[in-house]
Amino acid sequence: MSDAARQSADSRGGALTLDGVTSGYGAVSIVKGVSLKVAPGEIVALLGKNGMGKTTLLKTILGMVGLRGGAIAVDGVSVAGLSPAKLVALGVGYAPQEQPLFQDLSIRDNLRLAVSSDRLLPAALERVFGHFPFLADRLAQRAGTLSGGEQKMLILARALMLKPRLLLIDEISEGLQPSVVDRIAAALSAERAASGATMLIVEQNLDFALRVADRWAVLKLGEIDDEGATSPDARERILRHLSV
Amino acid sequence: MLLILDILTTAGILFVVSIGLLAVFGVLKIINFAHGAWLTIGAYCAVVAAKLGLNPWAALPLAFVIGGALGGLAEHFIIRPLYRRPLDAILATWGLGIVIGQLITLGFGRDVQMTPNLFSGTVEVFGADYSAYRLVALGAAVVIGVAFALTIEGTRLGLSARAVIMNETLARGLGIDTARVRLFTFMIGAGLAALAGVLLTPLTSVDPNMGVSWLIGAFMLVMVADASFLALGVACLVFGAAQVLISTFVSPILGSIAIAVLAALVLRISPKGFSRA
Repeated sequence: MSDAARQSADSRGGALTLDGVTSGYGAVSIVKGVSLKVAPGEIVALLGKNGMGKTTLLKTILGMVGLRGGAIAVDGVSVAGLSPAKLVALGVGYAPQEQPLFQDLSIRDNLRLAVSSDRLLPAALERVFGHFPFLADRLAQRAGTLSGGEQKMLILARALMLKPRLLLIDEISEGLQPSVVDRIAAALSAERAASGATMLIVEQNLDFALRVADRWAVLKLGEIDDEGATSPDARERILRHLSV
Repeated sequence: MLLILDILTTAGILFVVSIGLLAVFGVLKIINFAHGAWLTIGAYCAVVAAKLGLNPWAALPLAFVIGGALGGLAEHFIIRPLYRRPLDAILATWGLGIVIGQLITLGFGRDVQMTPNLFSGTVEVFGADYSAYRLVALGAAVVIGVAFALTIEGTRLGLSARAVIMNETLARGLGIDTARVRLFTFMIGAGLAALAGVLLTPLTSVDPNMGVSWLIGAFMLVMVADASFLALGVACLVFGAAQVLISTFVSPILGSIAIAVLAALVLRISPKGFSRA
């Protein structure tokens, strides 16, 4: 996204700053001293092979995994130690990869859980119907009966319900056919154009990542191995890191 | 016909006694072994209401409010610090139950307390006299069941509670304040237990340990129901029927242990109990 385009968008995206973030489970640190800045309205792709700490880093930002060292700030304000509920209230949206839907609940109830009050529901639903119109006709359908691609779109729709300032998206394109990947990429671009949302997207699909992101960072064994802009030479440089 | 009424009313009473325990088990993932103590607290609310000269029915809302408030305190100060240690949390509820029993003994003594009848007399059903109160208890079970179902299906708290039961990690990630959901659920569960305690007063003697015997049955029913509201209803009907039939045709002593034995058998055959029904 050009600077001009970014400035034309409603600049309500939040700035995310990670400074030496360390976190993990039990005795093991998975994320080790990660520092990364995501500017307001910017999309950064976090790349890396399985088990490198990408998902743990997203969960640490959201307060689901405890911060062991370093600092996390949104718009310059520390959010370390805040609960996920407080972060969501601050405008952070999350599209998880693992068990991402309540399979036995309806599409409507899955979306309803993203808003804190039913008064906000009609406007929020209208927002996401703009991105994914098929949801409007199938609100009563059980989420578990949707196809894989439809489920991914529902996950993203749910994350977009409250017009987030900062979106954390975990491998949304995984296992999807190209046409669905196109729809998701279009939704992310449209959302940023409309709301100026900042996004940190964890990805393994390099084509998708380079298509939607402004910058990328490769995470290797819990540390940032390399980072850069999505320039024409980025693919080769990233592949070198991923193939080692 | 009377046998069918006995089965239905027994199932209703079992349901009322177990529903609070089920709610807490579903959301907090712990068995509240102080549930019996809250039944006792409810029954003593009826005793206090009688001493204050209140209408006996006033004990129902009184018990729900006092039980819920005490449940909120117990959740906040005793159970919440132990969420990451569920076994310790369960042991803490066991200890809490003992402490409550002793406090009640301290305040009211060990003697059996008398409470006024909520509803006395008999009604004629198909040519035979039947306890009016047991029918009232059945009606109360239906009202409580419907209110519970409406809360679960029709309110945000119910939706959040279902989300926490299904996938607490995801619920947290969506910004649901799971600590608050747990607190309110425990308060409602404790309030319902106290309510059940009042409803039990015409059927059982009121003493500081009255809740213990009811706790065992409720525990087995909840284990078989595995946090499913509908499965609890089915379990109460099936085991209530077994209890009545065995008591009537074999021996009341065997009938009193029917629920525990049958629940253990069901769980041996199907660890998920009736929840897949």
